[in-house]
Amino acid sequence: MNLLNRLLRPSHFASAHCDGPCGVYDPASARIAAEAVLSMEKKIAALGEGMDTPTVNTRTRFIGIKESQADLAKRDLNILWTDYFKPEHLEKYPNLSDTFWKAAKLCSKNKTEQDPANGEALLAAVEEIHNIFWATKGRDVAFYRANP
Amino acid sequence: MRVAPVLFLAALLAAAATAACRAAPRYRRYEVRGDSMLPGLRSGDWVLVDLRAYALAAPRPGHIVVARDPRDPHLTLVKRVSGLDLHGNTELRGDNAPASTDSRRFGTVSPDQIVGRVRWRYWPLARTGRVG
Repeated sequence: MNLLNRLLRPSHFASAHCDGPCGVYDPASARIAAEAVLSMEKKIAALGEGMDTPTVNTRTRFIGIKESQADLAKRDLNILWTDYFKPEHLEKYPNLSDTFWKAAKLCSKNKTEQDPANGEALLAAVEEIHNIFWATKGRDVAFYRANP
Repeated sequence: MRVAPVLFLAALLAAAATAACRAAPRYRRYEVRGDSMLPGLRSGDWVLVDLRAYALAAPRPGHIVVARDPRDPHLTLVKRVSGLDLHGNTELRGDNAPASTDSRRFGTVSPDQIVGRVRWRYWPLARTGRVG
């Protein structure tokens, strides 16, 4: 089989080319950031209302992480929207821009509020984008969460 | 077990096609890289390219060709011919247009930049067959 492989393997490459700085796009990065947001919201809720110094410090830390991860999710989504998706995609998925706009709004909502329901809503939006993204590549990639 | 004869045939075909005429091989094996020819050609597909396809005849719309990138001769492209101008320059387009850099970006390609015509996919076995 190895010999056969060596015999058959082409020595030349033909590029089915697409320009782009690196061309590596994957909604997974937005999904991970969104999961981090949701995780922080759950931790903030579990922390309770305590106002003692250690609790306040921990809460502050959780909020800081939630803020930066929500910002990261927004940035990753924007890269997909503005760099990966093309006008041809919009023709096929007319609600694409609206989906991204709402997802970006959800990122902001996750920054200003602490409700885990917002994190769940953001993850649902990322899942929708994930499905459209992989459909444009003709691939069937299942959506999953690191923290089910 | 049934795969064996097909495998053998594919090996024979590819080997014969490339080795038989060592002096001036007619066919060359290429590996496709990238997504711009989806769904027909997938990244990682192995194909046979007829280097003499256009010795006597010009490329025709619909043919899948291997061509040099007019912007960078070291880069070899695989695209479909979408048109031909009066001077015989070909217009190339990726089948997966949204994810393709082609004549829309770099203009038409002159005949001497066309390497050959993609005729057969011989790997993976499940999708062997005529191309274009």
